[in-house]
Amino acid sequence: MELISLFITSFIVNNIIFSQFLGICPFLGVSKKIDTAAGMGIAVIFVITLASIITFIIQKLILDNLGLGYLQTIVFILIIAALVQFVEMFLKKSAPGLYQALGIFLPLITTNCAVLGVAIINITKDYSFIESMVNSIGTSVGFLLAIVLFAGVRDKVDNADIPDSLKGSSISLIAAGLMSIAFLGFSGLKL
Amino acid sequence: MNKLEIFKNGIGKENPIFAQQVGMCATLAITTSLLNGFGMGIAVIAVLTGSNIVISLLRKLIPDEVRIPAFVIIIAAFTTIIDLLMHAYTFPLYQALGVFIPLIVVNCIILARAESFAFKNGVVDSIIDGLGMGVGYTIAMVVLSSVREILGNGTIAGINILPEAYEPMMIMVQPPGSFIALGLLIGLVNYLSRRKKA
Amino acid sequence: MKNNFVRLAGVLFIISAISAGSLAWLNDFTKDRIEQNDLSASMSPEVIQAVAPGANTFVPFDDAALVESIKAENAKFVDLLTIVDGSGNAMGTVVQTLTPTPGYGGDMELYVGIDKDGKFTGMSVIAHSETSGLGTRTTEPDFWSQFVGKDASAEVASYDAISGVTKSSVSFVSAVNNAVSIYSQYLK
Repeated sequence: MELISLFITSFIVNNIIFSQFLGICPFLGVSKKIDTAAGMGIAVIFVITLASIITFIIQKLILDNLGLGYLQTIVFILIIAALVQFVEMFLKKSAPGLYQALGIFLPLITTNCAVLGVAIINITKDYSFIESMVNSIGTSVGFLLAIVLFAGVRDKVDNADIPDSLKGSSISLIAAGLMSIAFLGFSGLKL
Repeated sequence: MNKLEIFKNGIGKENPIFAQQVGMCATLAITTSLLNGFGMGIAVIAVLTGSNIVISLLRKLIPDEVRIPAFVIIIAAFTTIIDLLMHAYTFPLYQALGVFIPLIVVNCIILARAESFAFKNGVVDSIIDGLGMGVGYTIAMVVLSSVREILGNGTIAGINILPEAYEPMMIMVQPPGSFIALGLLIGLVNYLSRRKKA
Repeated sequence: MKNNFVRLAGVLFIISAISAGSLAWLNDFTKDRIEQNDLSASMSPEVIQAVAPGANTFVPFDDAALVESIKAENAKFVDLLTIVDGSGNAMGTVVQTLTPTPGYGGDMELYVGIDKDGKFTGMSVIAHSETSGLGTRTTEPDFWSQFVGKDASAEVASYDAISGVTKSSVSFVSAVNNAVSIYSQYLK
């Protein structure tokens, strides 16, 4: 039960985009079309989940035991960068179809702060391994939801007649703000 | 480009937030009060300038093929230095900024300056570029966080400046307010720069 | 080819080694201050005076087995501390607990002070991630002083929430009520 509530919280209530502000760069950058947005979202789910498993194990087994907590940032970012490389090579060889679909998004994910952010939050919130998994999956599915919804909205906004100065990222941010108000409604959700 | 132009470039034409729109996560997340916005700006100036110096010093020694991992290690090292120093010496600010301090490492502006400027230019120019970009970032953070704090809380740096009768627009310090405030500010900057051109 | 690989790996290795070395030094240099900061964040004189006016300090609770057994049964419970006055006499107990109902930014962590007569002496939020200027108003005495002096064995049912900050207020009170249940069950 607690795990379900953790999932819903990280998925919708504390949505990674609309209330935690992680992963804003790809959210604004790769949301022009719904299908590319969905591709990015799925790639992020994949990488966040894998990265959380590995960083969790490294933190507990190596960094904590050796008192090397201060190397956390360096170690985590290197793990994520290496992981993304591996996933890319692996997909290229064994699942060319999937690679075609996700390939171009993978390099972008290294500097997606959502991945590092979730890995660090799992540690600072002192989650157990299972809780970390649930949190990572909930958060990344929340990212997919947010970016796909937003791509749908942007599709319409691009055709709308708006003042020239507001065109581009300006109106996108305002639209995101309105969506964020909608998500604020979930914060009353009692779990 | 002369030195002054390099510096002004980061504040105006290529302002990281208003013009390039990179490094948005922390920008949106922690600008609920002026002090937070300013503190984050200073932290970014320190990491950006530090990594620019080291990368431009090492640019002849780092082979092209591994430059990105090398940049990432150097930037992560500087981020950790700032993290430790803030934890030790500016503790309340450290608590307020939370996870966004280690996340400076993935702030795209820093990697972008390493790749596009520090790796190709001398130390002095790189320092100026780091300071210019950092100051431009800080100005944007200060403007955004002031707007949000004044409208959302009726205060500036914690001091009450609006009359009692003013009912704070709470939405401005909540998540939606940051998207909307930044969107409108970027619109305003666009408007002003178009008028200047015309 | 092989030579080149060694060169590339070598450069990266040297950069990592220098980074790790300088961080190790800095970590050593700042370690004491950081520990002190983390500790004083929850044990500053202001916090002690807010939780238990007139107290000198808090010390670990003497019955460690009881603390462990509460931990096993109450997921949000963190620790018990004994309130001590200037001459070393126990004045009451502090229940350190998380919020069963999360606030706007997740769990808050509270100290709830209870004196020997079973009345609330005060409380303090020692960790939170509520919105600055909104949720943070629950951390101010204006809000929580309404509980001081009330009976700590009766659940708080009605209280004045801060307008517009309902979620943080509800979360705060859920922690107070968790302290109530711990107090009535184990300490009374």
